[in-house]
Amino acid sequence: MTEYQLLVQRYDPEHDSKPQRQHYTVPGDHTTSVLDALLYVQHQLDPTLGLRWSCRMAICGSCGVMVNGIPKLGCKTFLRDYHTDIIIEPLAHFAVEKDLIVDMTQFLAHLSAIKPYLMNDYSGTAVHKQTPAQLAKYQQFSNCINCGLCYSACPQFGLNPEFLGPAAITLAQRYNLDSRDNGKAARMPQLNSKNGAWGCTFVGFCSDVCPKQLDPAAAVNQTKVESAKDFIISMFKP
Amino acid sequence: MNSPKRSDEPIWWALFSAGGVCFAVFLPGLILALGILWPLGLLNSSVLQYAQLLSLLQSGYGLTGLAFTGAVICLPLFHAAHRIHHGLHDLKCGYRKSSKLLCYGTAAALSMLALYLTFHLILAD
Repeated sequence: MTEYQLLVQRYDPEHDSKPQRQHYTVPGDHTTSVLDALLYVQHQLDPTLGLRWSCRMAICGSCGVMVNGIPKLGCKTFLRDYHTDIIIEPLAHFAVEKDLIVDMTQFLAHLSAIKPYLMNDYSGTAVHKQTPAQLAKYQQFSNCINCGLCYSACPQFGLNPEFLGPAAITLAQRYNLDSRDNGKAARMPQLNSKNGAWGCTFVGFCSDVCPKQLDPAAAVNQTKVESAKDFIISMFKP
Repeated sequence: MNSPKRSDEPIWWALFSAGGVCFAVFLPGLILALGILWPLGLLNSSVLQYAQLLSLLQSGYGLTGLAFTGAVICLPLFHAAHRIHHGLHDLKCGYRKSSKLLCYGTAAALSMLALYLTFHLILAD
């Protein structure tokens, strides 16, 4: 067992005037994740620590935190990789509800704004078949777990919270590329706006931090090409 | 949610992309030839004689000269203007009409000047 030093940002907006860091010493071995360490703090040292978590296996996307300034999933980040104090803060660019819990309302509003569901005229119960090639077009972008790490990584979302952001644009591209979907025309107006794909300046940090390797920056740039084509087509329409 | 206004960004992004390609493809060759090989005397100096260059620019009814100016001056100017415009936004003082006008306006004005001078040169004799 090794002892690790955690500096956790604490903040209760109803009682504290400003956030402050609290120091905890946590035992751990090579299998101890940041989430394990935070749960140790909550169970053994300080039950008032607020954090969000669920699956512990990088599927639910709830335990996103900043670890030494980088957005990470707590369950997928291990203490063994850190050799100095480990600073844990709530996800950047989101409002803090308490300690490490952030308000995801705006993120969810952006996701729903791009109509993230299949839109088509099919009725009946027949299975809608897809070839492996048709599946491959969008499959990579369909693995998003809505953890919000890419929004914490995105400086443009930090500057402008109305920017739809990496996950929402990736999700739009995921449905636009799906052969079963006819909803592209309904999604394009959102993506064509200055807060759509054009709010991105291709920093690319979203793709670096994505725990599922979706490459949202690629999806956003594909969307820019789509939006540019849409722009040209619109010039020839009455 | 109402449909938001369509952004005019595709125009500037297209110019930015084209400028980026020119920056990456043509300018290194130009810098190598005119900035390094020529000063070192490694380039046959007769190639860079006025008459030689002029006939090169005039070839293809002068389109070569205009294309050259477009590729090494105009499009890279728009590329740089786009970067400055978005860089100003990152510094929290951009995305205003004024910064857009200044950045793309300067690129457009200098491009027009470059094309005018090239055109003038092509018609020289």
